[in-house]
Amino acid sequence: MYALLLQSAEDVTREIIRLQHGYQFLSYGLIVAWLILVVYVLMMVGREKKLKREIEGLRAMLEERPRG
Amino acid sequence: MRDKILFVIGVAAILLLARDINAIIDLPEERNQGIIFKIIFFHVPMAITALTCSLVAFIASIGFLITKNFKFDAVAVAVTEVGLAFLAGNLITGSIWGRVAWGIWWAWDARLTSALVCWLLYAGYLMLRRAIEEPTQRATFAAIFSIFAFIDVPIVIFSIKWWRTQHPAPVFWGGGSMPKDWYALWAWNVLAMMLVGFVFTAVRLRQEEFQREIDSLRREAHAI
Repeated sequence: MYALLLQSAEDVTREIIRLQHGYQFLSYGLIVAWLILVVYVLMMVGREKKLKREIEGLRAMLEERPRG
Repeated sequence: MRDKILFVIGVAAILLLARDINAIIDLPEERNQGIIFKIIFFHVPMAITALTCSLVAFIASIGFLITKNFKFDAVAVAVTEVGLAFLAGNLITGSIWGRVAWGIWWAWDARLTSALVCWLLYAGYLMLRRAIEEPTQRATFAAIFSIFAFIDVPIVIFSIKWWRTQHPAPVFWGGGSMPKDWYALWAWNVLAMMLVGFVFTAVRLRQEEFQREIDSLRREAHAI
């Protein structure tokens, strides 16, 4: 409907550029939103592994040490 | 069992978000803002999730100061960290929207500035926790700081009502409206983001339990 109101080839080109620009930045927004969630998940996975390793290490150390 | 429930909730939230992306792409353009308007479907749910996390942190901090129960402290730190991630997403998606709608990445108006201050305050909260070794002192100072930081949250929410800002006036509680199917899609995205936030918080809370176990094992090791 809106396209029918356009007057010239220049208008069509301008409209296409405007749409491309909009979609480009919308995709940036969606990528950022997802990327933040994914990065945070990866950070949590890394931290969890580190914490579990630390617990195992401390437990092993306590088992090895003779109690005074 | 808890892990399985969290996994199911997490997968449901991710599927919901993925389905919504497809639906959002199919929506028509908004008359004034064009395509970039669709960022509201992620920008606002992220803000709502982040500010809900702030509210939970505020309540948990008060809970810790009253009861001195470290479970409240664990909840406060878990939700604060999750909220910080969502607020970062909110700020960045807002900035991308501003680049198209205003032609600039950032404007120092009341809404944007107070939201950035909010992010910095909660980042400061996490830094403060790293700086204090003694657990009781750390939890007490952090709880007081969290309560202080929460003062900024109503300012973030109502800044677009109280002052004239470059940021648009509120859509849902400022006389604006949305077609019903758009609103439903937006509401589903709010739910999905909240579910993601809930799962993140639960996982982060478990890590705090691990940390407490490490602290107790270290004390035991020192005692031997």
